[in-house]
Amino acid sequence: MTALIVVGAGPSGLGVATTLARGTGDTVCLVDRIPVPGGEAGWDDPQVRDYVADAEAAGVRLLLGHMAVRWAAGALLLLGPGVVRTEKARHLFFAGGCRPATAADLRLAGERPAGVLPATVAEHLLTSGVRLWRRPLLIGDGPWAPSIGEHLRRTGARVLSLNGTGDWADETVCHDGAVEVLGRDRVRGVRLLDGPGPVPREVDCDAIILCAGAIPNRNVDGALTESDEGVTFVQPTAPRSVRARFEHGQSAAREWIRSMEGNQ
Amino acid sequence: LRSSAQHPIESFDVVVIGGGVMGTSVAARLSATNVRVCLVEAENDLCEGASKGNAGNAISFYGEPGTEETELLNASNLVWEELCGRLGVPYRRIGAVMVATTAEEVERLAEVHAQVLACGVRARMLTTAQVHAAEPLVTDACLAGMELPDEGLIDPMRLTIGYGALAVANGVELVLGQPVIGVEHDEHGSVVITAQRRIRARYVVNAAGLHSDRISALAGGEDLHNWPRRGQYAILDRAFGHRMSRIVFSTATPKTKGINVMPTTHGSVLLGPTAHDDFDGDDSRATDAETVQHVIEQAARLVPATAGAYVIKTFAANRPASEERHRIRFDHLVPNLLHVHSRSAGISMSPMLGERVLQVLNGAGLDAGERANPVVRLPAVPSLRGCARPEELVAANPLYGQVVCACENVSAAEIEAALTGHVPATSVDGVRKRTGAGYGRCQGSLCMAGVSFMTALRTGTGPADVRQTSRGTVGA
Repeated sequence: MTALIVVGAGPSGLGVATTLARGTGDTVCLVDRIPVPGGEAGWDDPQVRDYVADAEAAGVRLLLGHMAVRWAAGALLLLGPGVVRTEKARHLFFAGGCRPATAADLRLAGERPAGVLPATVAEHLLTSGVRLWRRPLLIGDGPWAPSIGEHLRRTGARVLSLNGTGDWADETVCHDGAVEVLGRDRVRGVRLLDGPGPVPREVDCDAIILCAGAIPNRNVDGALTESDEGVTFVQPTAPRSVRARFEHGQSAAREWIRSMEGNQ
Repeated sequence: LRSSAQHPIESFDVVVIGGGVMGTSVAARLSATNVRVCLVEAENDLCEGASKGNAGNAISFYGEPGTEETELLNASNLVWEELCGRLGVPYRRIGAVMVATTAEEVERLAEVHAQVLACGVRARMLTTAQVHAAEPLVTDACLAGMELPDEGLIDPMRLTIGYGALAVANGVELVLGQPVIGVEHDEHGSVVITAQRRIRARYVVNAAGLHSDRISALAGGEDLHNWPRRGQYAILDRAFGHRMSRIVFSTATPKTKGINVMPTTHGSVLLGPTAHDDFDGDDSRATDAETVQHVIEQAARLVPATAGAYVIKTFAANRPASEERHRIRFDHLVPNLLHVHSRSAGISMSPMLGERVLQVLNGAGLDAGERANPVVRLPAVPSLRGCARPEELVAANPLYGQVVCACENVSAAEIEAALTGHVPATSVDGVRKRTGAGYGRCQGSLCMAGVSFMTALRTGTGPADVRQTSRGTVGA
């Protein structure tokens, strides 16, 4: 009996793992770097809880608190606090979620001061309950923007948005030209180039949250691109509900099972 | 000056101003002698100026034949492996090819070749086929090339901090975050004044890089004119980096080495730099979209495959340009003020710089002697990335199993070491400089929160007031 490994225990990964466990004779191992399942949906989401119970009922082996590091020669190197293990598998499914676009992805120019943060980091810091910014600028319209915008408004911040949609910002600026970051020590604003007027517009802010995206995470050596051997990526980039992501994972797994049957 | 006048005077033999690679390498060498040394840096961390924003290229030649610059570069090039082994600094002697793509460049390449040989550095001319054998990714437009086997890759931040850590391990007093606001003199020597300290020394070493003209002026010394020569860079993902086996240089001009394609010790590839003299400029490190695009296009002319590679970061940095591009000499007006300065070759001459400065100071009467059993080796902090037997690391320290930066495989053990070393990181950026956490393709999207929390814990701050960079906090 060979094994299949799914990296990422969010809704997508749960959908993949459960479908593989029911649809193949393989043992299925579901890995996540943090000690609880659920991914960005959160471990306490009621739907996630149902999916986890179903996965366990289907025989999926959960391996939580382990970071997938290297995929080579049909083996996945996993690390956890005090733990190193290698899991052999005939196929790897990577459901590692998405991240916001970086400053380079967005071609942000200008200075590189403190106070420019990826949305995922801002979200994490904000949940520590500290009031961090009074006039943050959220760049982009990725899946993190609404929750961060709403969270910041609850803390009394005046939320600015660059190219966002939706009602989570106090003020939205639309601009499709180049953007330069201003501020040497801490960020103090952005300059919008190639705009309509003769003088570039400047927008003051005390933080920039990079909310555009989403871009699939790729951080397991040997499983970085579609051309790497023995890997299927299950990383929907459009924002979807927990259920839609679970079902997307299910259909990705079903498609893989069909392709394997077709090869035999 | 009134506020600092209340503080008692502390006495040293030498005070070094500037915590870049010049200042730290001098402090490290002096720390192995019996003189008392203080190193003063304006920023909150070492390696915040030109030493931070460079290409990580340990160059084998730069100067004219017969100059002190060349002498120091040649002597330094012999010791990289031994030095970096002791300091735990990544270094790889991978060699470079310099590429000519026009008839004019072929002609200039021959001149450069003659000059390199005259400097006593190994080099040989290559045919197009030989260039492609050395580095298959070089453009088909290559007409001729030159091999420079003693060019190397180095982590300039780990090197600078390594020198600083060695100095501290040997008892050098490190003063961070205190800009020098005055230098006074009397019959006993000089007093270097910051907002909080008055530091007496017999000799003052001015290794303040871009700010060395200001330091000289404060000390009543010569009018040294420095200005920022700004360079912009783009960094390509390691997925491209692993395809490259050599540094690829464009044919140098008398003014600049041009835009090059350089692998890094982290596995990424650096494109750049441009060279823009900002004569009236401050220390701005702003990029602009047009120049970054120019860098990417010029690099693709040398190595066409870079055109499709993923750009993970762009940045700008300033080299300290001056009419004198190299300067190790006493001030003409202030006899105990020693200027130590290099525009672009500081990293590459740093291994032997301290020895030369020690000779110069001793020649002027410092009278330093070697001291018994100085620390010469720093405790090794192995990297998880690329480690063949991670189970051994985890067995020795369970925190090696906790991967914080997924892109670069940086573990909590390495981050803890950075936060508790001889020159501990006190910011998220400080951790990045020491460990590479956040260097990768997601640029900290996954790890920066964790690094912030670990840094906040070790610095006694919190999520809002922990420093993200040497200067600025995460919260407003």
